[in-house]
Amino acid sequence: MSNRNFESDLRAQLDSLNKEKLPERDLWAGIEIALAEEAAPNQQAQKRRTNSTAPKVVAMAASFALVAVISWFSLNPSTQQMTQQDLVSALSSQHQMQKNALLVKFQDQPALTENWQKQLAELDEAAEAIKAALKHDENNMALLKMLQNVHQQQIDLIERVHSPKWRQI
Amino acid sequence: MNIQGNVVSAQSAFADKSERDLISAVQQGDKKAYQTLYQTYIGQVYGLCYRLTSDKSLAEDASQEVFIQLWRKIGNYKGDSKFSTWLHTVTSNITISYLRKQRGWVKRMFNIEDTEANYYAADQATDLSELERHVSRLPERARIVFVLHAIEGYRHEDIASMMNMAVGSSKAQFHRAKQLLKEWMGYE
Repeated sequence: MSNRNFESDLRAQLDSLNKEKLPERDLWAGIEIALAEEAAPNQQAQKRRTNSTAPKVVAMAASFALVAVISWFSLNPSTQQMTQQDLVSALSSQHQMQKNALLVKFQDQPALTENWQKQLAELDEAAEAIKAALKHDENNMALLKMLQNVHQQQIDLIERVHSPKWRQI
Repeated sequence: MNIQGNVVSAQSAFADKSERDLISAVQQGDKKAYQTLYQTYIGQVYGLCYRLTSDKSLAEDASQEVFIQLWRKIGNYKGDSKFSTWLHTVTSNITISYLRKQRGWVKRMFNIEDTEANYYAADQATDLSELERHVSRLPERARIVFVLHAIEGYRHEDIASMMNMAVGSSKAQFHRAKQLLKEWMGYE
């Protein structure tokens, strides 16, 4: 039989298909149980929007503060010797604020790994060691960058272990 | 417009409004309204799940998954498109994702398909048309592409995106599906 007959026969069968079917068992009971503890859809959507924008706002504020601090010190070289430790303190306190904001934000959200706080503490120790080294070598830019890097690793760690997308397949 | 046309138009506007009210109630967390929405759309959702999975049990589980995830997603529905169209896309995506999770990696890697088992099950079902029986016998990827393109009207670009495959692969799977159907329908 011809190809044209097949195409028209197929089209006719497709057009006559009944697209709706009903399941043989009641599915609603299971759905109702699964949704028993779920918040209202609008609340969930609102929370998702907040979750997706809050880290960006915190990151932007942190970046702005960092740029402002560095600019201030680079525009005032006369104060450099006296203020390198101030720069380290400013970076540390600004990082602490950012870290605290994230920890508060995620406090009710389960983490994906159990040892993330241990990792966070290890990074804290690393930051303290770098700060101690900076006290003895105040103009060492490599150490300053290492400190920034450790701070960023802490932020990334907190976000990563609380990020919903890691729970999706 | 004649009187009959006006009546049809008024009925349609009323249905749209009551559906908008229903969706709005669901978005605010009304579970009774959600049950009504479920009863309205379970036929559409299960029908699509069944065509995509070709397995009654998988289709039931996938339909439940759709309505569980729909509760979480419906807050994002802004009414820019028809609800049934939006739900259709949500259903397709969730079912494909559900199938991916259900099928073992080994099975998919080696492209082992239980199409004959599906066909046997479909053959026992009395409410299926001849075409549906043949479609259920298609290999999984070919079946999904055929259902989405030929029955549900998706473009190959959209299917490729949903199934994480190249557009050319979607077209090739569709061609394969048609060749098999042609043979099984006695045209070759």
